[in-house]
Amino acid sequence: MLALGIAPALAQSVSVGDQNLQIHGFATQGFLVSSENNYLGINTGSGSTAWTEAAINVNDEVTNRLRVGVQFHYTRLGAFGGDDPTVDWALGDFTINRWAGIRAGKVKMRWGLYNDTQDYDPGYMWSLLPEGIYGIDIRATDLSQNGVELYGVVPLMRNLGKMEYSAYYGDYTVASNDGIMESFKESGLAFTSPPGGKTPGFDLRWKTPLSGLKIGGSLMMYDAKGNLTNGTYVQPLAFWPAYYGQYDWKKLSLSYQYTKLVQYQTVTTTGAPPATSGVNTPSWFAMSSYRLTDKLQAGVYYTSFVIASAADKSDPASFFHDWAVSGRYDFNSHFYAKLEGHFIDGNAAGFYGFDNPNTLQPRTNLLVAKVGFYF
Amino acid sequence: MKQLVLICLPMAAVLLFSVPAHAQVLVIANPSVKAVEITKSEVRDLFTGETRNLKEGGRVNPVFLKGGPAHTEFLLDFLHMPDAMVRTCWSRLVFAGQATMPRSFETEATLVEFIAHTPGAIGYITQTTPHEDVKVLILK
Repeated sequence: MLALGIAPALAQSVSVGDQNLQIHGFATQGFLVSSENNYLGINTGSGSTAWTEAAINVNDEVTNRLRVGVQFHYTRLGAFGGDDPTVDWALGDFTINRWAGIRAGKVKMRWGLYNDTQDYDPGYMWSLLPEGIYGIDIRATDLSQNGVELYGVVPLMRNLGKMEYSAYYGDYTVASNDGIMESFKESGLAFTSPPGGKTPGFDLRWKTPLSGLKIGGSLMMYDAKGNLTNGTYVQPLAFWPAYYGQYDWKKLSLSYQYTKLVQYQTVTTTGAPPATSGVNTPSWFAMSSYRLTDKLQAGVYYTSFVIASAADKSDPASFFHDWAVSGRYDFNSHFYAKLEGHFIDGNAAGFYGFDNPNTLQPRTNLLVAKVGFYF
Repeated sequence: MKQLVLICLPMAAVLLFSVPAHAQVLVIANPSVKAVEITKSEVRDLFTGETRNLKEGGRVNPVFLKGGPAHTEFLLDFLHMPDAMVRTCWSRLVFAGQATMPRSFETEATLVEFIAHTPGAIGYITQTTPHEDVKVLILK
């Protein structure tokens, strides 16, 4: 009821003096229930409401060329996230000229179709994006970096469309309370503090002359170093390329993305020789959605994630295939509800040992319901 | 031949006036905007947040109407997407830290007044709305 009153009141930009100060935010509440296994660090087998998210941002256009802003994000996802909001991004954004701008501070990383916007639930019809690529339980680490981003749009000659680019360099630290740290823990690595390193990368996307069609490629790279309670962890630069396309035509949207992460790490523990291991994980998704009415959307996607470096590729722990069917209804321009079904084969992504103490079953069906508001 | 003309003229008039009435949308800007002409593609890019710059005319600030015939026609004819999709485009940018939300106005009169007094502002109205203090951009 409080939200009903607040949202329309805050829906307008707030002007202070001659400056344009804006405040926007959102909040969502989810319910998840699954068959067989618990998923995403939540007790989904019994049905759970342990998925709450909220964010609030403040933006100020200081001059026509300079904008400053900050966004705080709160995530509670079962065992992950926490009680305290984190800084999602905090930056200064300066327009250099028609073709270039620069952002500095804590800046979202543009990678693939959705990385920089994946934690904005109202922006999607889907409740859960493809887990093998945009894992909600590990996204806290992948969203942003502390550094700089050079970005812009360059029109191409002969009406060949335009090229959008983003190149960034900065450092990052693995989020202390998400699925990456839990995976380290379950593989026997106990860090004294979360590891981190540098993360250079870029994204290049071609807005083609065919209206609504964009094709692009990204490369995210990152290394990491960390201290273990009994040794050291060193991960040389990992390469995570993404190739994608999206076509929006009237009420129809189609998208595809292929990625392949190649990562190695060396663990040196007291009294033992260094042990090097690696992963090679090709993954992809194909999505389609359609706006049936102004308020109702529906869609379906299929995603595949495979640990190609696994010894036994038929083991469900080596793959994750998911059919998702989804719908969203917007009650008005501030409130919405989502309903989504997942039919998961394999458990290579999003499943943990701590809440699945018995043997993981190969298949899991999941139902997700969400309500949210934004302003 | 004359008989044919006499038959065709009234028929043409009937056809002409039976076409569904669409609001004639004008793209208007603050006089500080250097551009004289604009393409539909440029309008689409500006109003979906893909760019803030015109090829000729520097940095501009798009402003929206909240509803009405000009808004409906503008979405249909220039942006080719429903209102909710346009809002989603902008809110994704805002929540990714890449833009601020454009201003939107209840009436065309207040939008014209804002554009007239705001350097770089660009918007749209119906042809019949008074717009003496703003510049009309010619559609290429």
